[in-house]
Amino acid sequence: MANKSSRRDFVKRSAAVVAGAIVLPQIIPSSAFGMGGRIAPSDRIVIGAIGTGSQGMSNMRDFLRLKDAVQFVAVCDVDALRLAKAKETVDQTNKNSDCRTYGDYRELLEKEKLDAVSLALPDHWHGIIYSEVANKKLNVYGEKPICRTINDGQTIVKAVKKNNIIWQTGSWQRSQANFRRGAELAINGRVGKIKYIEVGLPDGNKGIGTPPIQEVPAELNWEMWLGPALHVPYRGVSHWNWRWILDYSGGQLTDWAGHHIDIANWGAGLEHIGPVEISGAGVYPVEGIYNVPVEYDFLCKYANGIEMRVANASRLPLGMGTTWHGDLGWVHVDRGNKISASDTRILDEVIGENEIQLYKSENHWQNFVDCVRSGKQTIAPVEVAYRAISVALLGEIAMTTGQTIKWDPDKEEIIGNLRASRMLSRPYRQPWTLPTV
Amino acid sequence: MKKQYLFLIVVAGLLTFFSACKNEAIYKTLIITGQNNHNWKASSPVLKQILDETGMFTAEIMITPDKGGDMSTFNPDFSKFKLVVLDYNGDSWSDKTNAAFLKYVKNGGGVVVYHAADNSFPAWKEYNEIIGLGGWGNRTEKDGPYVYYKRNKLVIDTAAGNGGSHGKRREFIVTTRITDHPITKGLPVKWFHGNDELYSQLRGPAKNMQILATAFADSAAGGGTMRDEPMLMTITFDKGRIFHTAMGHADEGGGPAMQCVGFITTLQRGAEWAVTGNVTQPLPSDFPSTAGVVLRPDFKEMTLEEAISNVGNYDIAKSTKYFSYLQSQIRKLAGNEEGLLNLEKMMVKVLIGNETTVEAKKLLLRELSWMGSDYSVPAIKDLVSNAELKDEAEFALARLQPQK
Repeated sequence: MANKSSRRDFVKRSAAVVAGAIVLPQIIPSSAFGMGGRIAPSDRIVIGAIGTGSQGMSNMRDFLRLKDAVQFVAVCDVDALRLAKAKETVDQTNKNSDCRTYGDYRELLEKEKLDAVSLALPDHWHGIIYSEVANKKLNVYGEKPICRTINDGQTIVKAVKKNNIIWQTGSWQRSQANFRRGAELAINGRVGKIKYIEVGLPDGNKGIGTPPIQEVPAELNWEMWLGPALHVPYRGVSHWNWRWILDYSGGQLTDWAGHHIDIANWGAGLEHIGPVEISGAGVYPVEGIYNVPVEYDFLCKYANGIEMRVANASRLPLGMGTTWHGDLGWVHVDRGNKISASDTRILDEVIGENEIQLYKSENHWQNFVDCVRSGKQTIAPVEVAYRAISVALLGEIAMTTGQTIKWDPDKEEIIGNLRASRMLSRPYRQPWTLPTV
Repeated sequence: MKKQYLFLIVVAGLLTFFSACKNEAIYKTLIITGQNNHNWKASSPVLKQILDETGMFTAEIMITPDKGGDMSTFNPDFSKFKLVVLDYNGDSWSDKTNAAFLKYVKNGGGVVVYHAADNSFPAWKEYNEIIGLGGWGNRTEKDGPYVYYKRNKLVIDTAAGNGGSHGKRREFIVTTRITDHPITKGLPVKWFHGNDELYSQLRGPAKNMQILATAFADSAAGGGTMRDEPMLMTITFDKGRIFHTAMGHADEGGGPAMQCVGFITTLQRGAEWAVTGNVTQPLPSDFPSTAGVVLRPDFKEMTLEEAISNVGNYDIAKSTKYFSYLQSQIRKLAGNEEGLLNLEKMMVKVLIGNETTVEAKKLLLRELSWMGSDYSVPAIKDLVSNAELKDEAEFALARLQPQK
């Protein structure tokens, strides 16, 4: 801890000197100029990217589309080819060749002076890296789901709060008009008192059997890719398809929890609480290394009487998306700007000034940038993201154990079930450990 | 002393009662075959085996005269059977046999219509009401509408055209359309079926018919109608219940279409429903999903003994089914402490076995990490010193004996 503060102090002290110089030796983070940790609206946010695969690059492009908002200076990935592509994108944008590359996030965090990081990694890495960047007091744009286990999530939330950083979860549906509108209609009682919510997430995918053990491609640091997960030989499954293996992900269920469950919570006032009882069943593959449930269907009961059913879309009448059912009707939202209701007049309803106005953002990445500058809360803060993914993780535990799970949403503990409680965490492979917060 | 005798009498009585129940639960089944444009010599014994496997049916195969033979000699006594399985597509039966069959169905006899049996008897009105939908045999709009799903909506299509077609044989996904019917309750909504003909454009009276499952006949996958074609149907005819499966095109030994766990299970459940109107058979743990086709080459469901004795030879490249089975049993035993401890003991025995592969041990350690008890701990501790298993053993101990 002492090292960290002295580094930051050094940066702040040296910033005053450097600012006067004509040629900057490197981009100095705006937060280094002593703006109380926040950045002047005119200054660009100095940002690094950890994880430059499909989602990481997608986020990078979304940030780069914002005018003079951010400047990427460093990228990190365990795949050298992806890393080179990321550097190329950054250098082209910056019109130089200065973007620094790292194969180990620890080195990036040690050497770089940043305002923020953009994180897009397999879920099994979230617990460690999300907590560490928070401990470094860097502002974070972090992909959902924010954690692979409840225990990881609790640590991340604690780290973000303690270090008072700005956090934006990649739950970008919140910044889309139809989702906000649906949630606002629901939370203001336009379908009556909400009794029941249906959340439809994608069906599972086809298996691939068990591919043979292969030589690890020269560009991939497989050890580092696995990190805290148990060691397995390389069978050609790493990028993207990690989400079909339980060591790294819970499948479509956990992948999409940060979207449609998050939206469901938003419109029903469940953002800061959790269910008290969870039960359901999954359909698991019989053959192959992909072992996440390909169908899932579970019911969460909340202390306030609301029930939420989460299932793969084919099992639900309205398929994908979120449906809030109240005693007067329902409203449904999904991607593709979809919004529909039991009665179309519900959709014409005006929300009055004295009613609940939900947080409004029209661009998820801009919202992060704005909040880093203003110090205000983002539209998808960390605790809310944790509550969204915990619904899916508790559902996963209920399906794995075959039992009804009782959950204490205040103490964040499973009640009276030792076996289920063990699944609140996945022990890390040495030498990796969750950072202390 | 008297009390003891009384006890013995009660026990004897109960035993008689239970064995009587068991006998009563066996439904005599008649499989009719002998003419078919399909390989009935391959399919009929497999149908028998699949039904007999449940312990609920005892099936006999009756072979009709050959094509052009004297059908008056084909005269089954339907009244002896609770279930008739039709694996027949050929010459007309005698009027007497037709009448006897109709009487059997009207009186509540169960029927299973299997694959090409829905090609048979295009001109027999009541038979077509029994099968609901049929194909080929110059079936056209005169015989009834096409019935299918399009964009998740049931379509009754009276357009002119021939009934019956199929594209190239292939594996395809079946969609369960009715999930609260006794036959399909608990089934995945989507599941892969083994390489089969995807019967399409069936048409018929479709009276008193429910479509339980469909399959999308994708033209890109080797010819198809781009409709969700009916695969599993139930029909009622007077008091009779009929289960119609359009699947199961037979190869020698049954082949993938009949070895498919989806075909086997729906046939077994459909047969029970046809007899009783209910289904008591639990869903097997190896029922397929969108993850892929699951075959049972011997048509038998796995047992715990089989899983335990094979899981130690675990070679992930060959099959993961024994391990998947173990996981499903753990779920089934939820809340049953004694059952879980028994299973745990079996797993630990495999875990410490000299013959057990490292891969199997790793997987058992992952599973024991959450479902195990103190019973596992000493065996797992012993493995910490094993370089190959250290990580997994520590993983398991971290959960079984958390450091506070």
